[in-house]
Amino acid sequence: MAAATDWSERSRELAQLLARAGLGDRAAFATLYERTSAHLFGVVLRIQRDRAQAEDILQEVYVNVWRSAQGFDAAQSQPLTWLTSIARNRAIDGLRRAQTQPQIQGVASSGDDEHEDPDVYDSVADDRAGPLELLSRAADARALAACMQGLSAQQRQSVALAFFDGLSHAEVAEQLRQPLGTVKSWVRRALLALRSCLENAVQRDAAAG
Amino acid sequence: MDYSRPELADRLAADYVTGTLRGPARRRFEALLPAHANLRAAVRGWQDRLMPLTATIPPQRPSPQLWQRIEARIGGAAAPAPAAAPARGWWAQLAFWRGLAALATVAALSLAVLLAAPGPAQPPIIVVMNATTPPAGTAPGAIVPASFVASISGDGRAVVTRPLTGVSVEADRALELWAIAGSNAPRSLGLISANAATVVRRGRLPAGTDALAVSLEPPGGSPTGTPTGPVLFVGRLGT
Repeated sequence: MAAATDWSERSRELAQLLARAGLGDRAAFATLYERTSAHLFGVVLRIQRDRAQAEDILQEVYVNVWRSAQGFDAAQSQPLTWLTSIARNRAIDGLRRAQTQPQIQGVASSGDDEHEDPDVYDSVADDRAGPLELLSRAADARALAACMQGLSAQQRQSVALAFFDGLSHAEVAEQLRQPLGTVKSWVRRALLALRSCLENAVQRDAAAG
Repeated sequence: MDYSRPELADRLAADYVTGTLRGPARRRFEALLPAHANLRAAVRGWQDRLMPLTATIPPQRPSPQLWQRIEARIGGAAAPAPAAAPARGWWAQLAFWRGLAALATVAALSLAVLLAAPGPAQPPIIVVMNATTPPAGTAPGAIVPASFVASISGDGRAVVTRPLTGVSVEADRALELWAIAGSNAPRSLGLISANAATVVRRGRLPAGTDALAVSLEPPGGSPTGTPTGPVLFVGRLGT
């Protein structure tokens, strides 16, 4: 499965639904909800683990999408990217520091504080896929795979905790028991490496095509 | 801070999209977005790069009640089944007009002026109709080309449509041109060709016509007298 390719294809299907919803077509909006709500709910639930609160957030997301659908510009962004961004923003805005605490439980029991265990978070008993596992699935897309390989284990883990689970820099630092400055620079370097690698991949594709 | 510095803009945008920009700093950044195109472009870039990563998160079905709550919030019962027709015509919705404003390229002259003072000296009105969705494969950021130009004769009695770009229509489908006046139901102007100029003569355009639209219909045109298929192109008259 190529995640990034699949993403573009799904987005093309959604562009017309979104355009029609923007014209006030409720049936199109119902279909849009049908096709996207499980994805967006999955995204929101990673960040806000309380189901009732996550549903409240999702409700606001779709009300917001209905009201702003006519402002969606298909030439500027892909529908799925736009929708997911709105959902993540709402979920992050809904976070309070205290509510993120349960996400860290169970990690502090390790007696080996000095040892860097890149899979420490994934070892937490949980039926959810760990953030690193999600990254490796994304890496099925070839360009991302090559780009992810260029990152160190700490960089990968920092960016995965922040992006998938909505942890702040300080929370990632606490989780990994690393100084805040170190974590900030890991996240930053990981993002820059990802970007330059993806840009190179796009240029290679353009040259090949 | 000087937000026009590319490096700073990029760092803030990356933190914002990743989600590590928090609290007052996040709200400040959001407040800056409407006024700073470079920040918006940086945010879009990071969204394009990072959001596909979420495709790997297992989907989770929300409870069935959630859709009912959303329906209640957006006012009125939406049809739950995708195939069901909307209860009211989409043209009657205010949102349609906001959509037109966003989608349509606005022609320079107003038909209202023309209808108030018809005369042989009036120049034709040109209406540029754009696709409501970009063609498949359009790259993000690409400009969507106009698909049809309609010229309305000076006396409002004839409309000539010309396709600007290749419009592919399945053999069992036809394109129908509609005049839209306010919140009234669209008035059919007739079928138009997808690949050649078509002269449409239908007496005079309805008074108050402020937009033209093209919908996809069965061969022979809409059986109901109102658009039944998706609206593919729209163009607005007036200023």
